[in-house]
Amino acid sequence: MQFAQLSDRVENAEANGVITDLQALPGVWINSNPNTNGIARMVMSESGGQLSLQVFAVGPDGLIDWGSTEVKVFAGLPTSRVAAGFTCIYDFGFAETELQGMIMKGLLVLAQFHRFKDNSKRADYFVREYFALEHGRY
Amino acid sequence: MSNAFQFKQSGHLDPALLGPATVSRAEKLIGRWLNTNPDTQGIAECEIQRDGNHFSIKISGVGVDGPIVWPIARSKALANLEEEAGQRTIALAAVFEFGFMKSEIYIRVNKGVLVIVLFNTFQDESGRSNYLNREFFYRA
Repeated sequence: MQFAQLSDRVENAEANGVITDLQALPGVWINSNPNTNGIARMVMSESGGQLSLQVFAVGPDGLIDWGSTEVKVFAGLPTSRVAAGFTCIYDFGFAETELQGMIMKGLLVLAQFHRFKDNSKRADYFVREYFALEHGRY
Repeated sequence: MSNAFQFKQSGHLDPALLGPATVSRAEKLIGRWLNTNPDTQGIAECEIQRDGNHFSIKISGVGVDGPIVWPIARSKALANLEEEAGQRTIALAAVFEFGFMKSEIYIRVNKGVLVIVLFNTFQDESGRSNYLNREFFYRA
């Protein structure tokens, strides 16, 4: 088994590499920063073992629905079947936004990579924000 | 910034995106960095050098009989819009392609600590789960 670091190694990889426990991710995730200029909330949904994400971002005149996109799920270890994060890409034509999310202590830490493709001379940029899962319990 | 620009969030219209380049802050990334965890099973060290508008990233993973030197990746710096609590950094994103695996990483410096987040995707049907990891480094 090839590896680039010891943590890639697995004694017995009996499963098929499918991450089956997705329960940490579905739900409505709210930005902890009420003054964000970026993503206000995200809705993660599961259907048939596949997760999809719908993003709502802050715009000058209200929220902007980015629509839904499928996400790729990651575990915390190569032996784990429990979801611990995800990646996905939104291609808007004029720009591409890549999202990388990881669960940390119940929070979703979201790294956003915005790359412009429209020759507007805007700098590509990075933002990291925190999201809490809406639970309606309190 | 003019609203003539296309956008999908207000951040896309931030005037800072047209301001002076953030490259000066990028100097904070340059150098050799060692993992704060001496028992790591992941990345032992990382060396970042500047090459014009690009950066080269050299990583050594922990191996059985010594370090495993990864192929060098090149990256452009990404500006960082103001985050909460006035935190402001720059970041690098890069992809390391190993054939059997692909590692998508991002690197940032926060209060003198280099943080590397990895999203590893196996491409060899070995049955391993794709996995993520985060490690911390101090300047050598």
